[in-house]
Amino acid sequence: MTARAPPAPRHSRAGIVSKLTIGPGPASPRTRRFGIVSKLTIAVFGVLAAVRTGRADGPAASPGSLRDEDILGRATPTFRVDSVTTRLTSFNQYGSGYQAQGGPTPSSPGNERATILEPQVEIDASQGPRLSHRFWVPVDVVTNASADAIDVMTSASRHVESGAIDWAAKYKVDADSDVTVRSGIHLENPFRSWTAGLAWSRALADGDTVVSASTLEVFDWFDRFDIHGGRHGRTDRTTTTVSAGVTQILTPTTIANVNYGITMQRGEMGNTWNSVPLEGNVRGPELLPSERLRHALVLRAAQFLPWNGALHVYYRLYADDWGTVAHSAEAELLQRVSPALTLGALYRIHRQSGVDFFTTLADPSAPLRTSDSDLAPFDSQTFGGKVVVDAPMRGEIRALHLELGYERYFRTNDLHIDVFTCATGYRF
Amino acid sequence: MTARAFAACMVAALLVGCATVPQNRRGHLADPMMTLSEEPLDSARRQKMYDTREGAAGGDGANAGGGCGCQ
Repeated sequence: MTARAPPAPRHSRAGIVSKLTIGPGPASPRTRRFGIVSKLTIAVFGVLAAVRTGRADGPAASPGSLRDEDILGRATPTFRVDSVTTRLTSFNQYGSGYQAQGGPTPSSPGNERATILEPQVEIDASQGPRLSHRFWVPVDVVTNASADAIDVMTSASRHVESGAIDWAAKYKVDADSDVTVRSGIHLENPFRSWTAGLAWSRALADGDTVVSASTLEVFDWFDRFDIHGGRHGRTDRTTTTVSAGVTQILTPTTIANVNYGITMQRGEMGNTWNSVPLEGNVRGPELLPSERLRHALVLRAAQFLPWNGALHVYYRLYADDWGTVAHSAEAELLQRVSPALTLGALYRIHRQSGVDFFTTLADPSAPLRTSDSDLAPFDSQTFGGKVVVDAPMRGEIRALHLELGYERYFRTNDLHIDVFTCATGYRF
Repeated sequence: MTARAFAACMVAALLVGCATVPQNRRGHLADPMMTLSEEPLDSARRQKMYDTREGAAGGDGANAGGGCGCQ
């Protein structure tokens, strides 16, 4: 997305003049004088052109040693915006869950209806030949959440806004390796979150193999409520993720990636206002462990198809020490219909076992309990499609990217989400 | 048994990768359709939906949220 197209070839004046004066003329004194003048003119323009070229592009490359800047133009040390992308997504969620209050009885599931509008902006910029930046600003506007609930978020969650700023700076150490530093902050009504990360990657075997490693630290700081709406100060949670991966070119049309990561969490693991139906037709607070260790193994592969298409497959195996084991598999088919138009179709299936202490009716003396439907055993599926237009442009904007997509997510424990998304991108 | 078969597939896939593909035969791999990582904003909005609605987030570089998956 940030690759720069080669600029228009630069025609030196010397070259043009040379072409105009190719071939011997009649040998008259006048023409001989003209010939001398023209030769001087050629020489002067030649020197000027050489100086100008030298200032712009540096020394001319020797034959057989073409450099990147000879094709792409010299990277300037000044800040340069390479692309701007915006995306607007709406999530319309319908369903019910036992963690929410507001059902007909205390032991009944509550309404999980929610509408979320999520605008995002991403700016890619470069600063010289080695340093590039990515700025990402997502905003969430949640409306109509838990409108029938009587829990603490009854009024607050009817309209909640949150935003984040994320900055990643990538430094190209040499031709084969780079280091990325990431930092961010997330702001929400009763919630603050800080993110810091470091990533490294290195290409091996002439670019056939890329090994990578990353670490990410997240610190969450948020209000603690009880299930009746009482506020009890603040609490926090830390999340540390370490991951490593290998990307390998398998054939001229196949590329694959394997990634393994481990996440360690400590602190308050719930949102603090989730409730659990208890025996005796009453509700009590959710009780969760204070630590969680998560493992994830991800396999990705992309296969180019002879009819100008591509097939992407994805598999993820997840396990944690709360007893959840999950398998997610996904396939996406992309088909280029014309040079500018691409169609895509997607299917995903997810199966999770749920945590060991999930219940819809808990013993009041149980040390751990949750009724969160997101932690229950269930299967989910996603169907989706998209239309993508990538049109080359002239002028300052070199390419325009447009995308429209729709997805439907539904799962076996009474929840489904309709997702509409559209994106525009400008590459400079 | 399933784990062994899975490990065997992984090793086979990596061994296949030992055959170097010359740069002049990587034209199809340079096609934008072949990019393994999704467009970042598209990936972010999908990741967020799955992270908040499924209790299986984390481990792969994404924000893991809490027990409920809330961010």
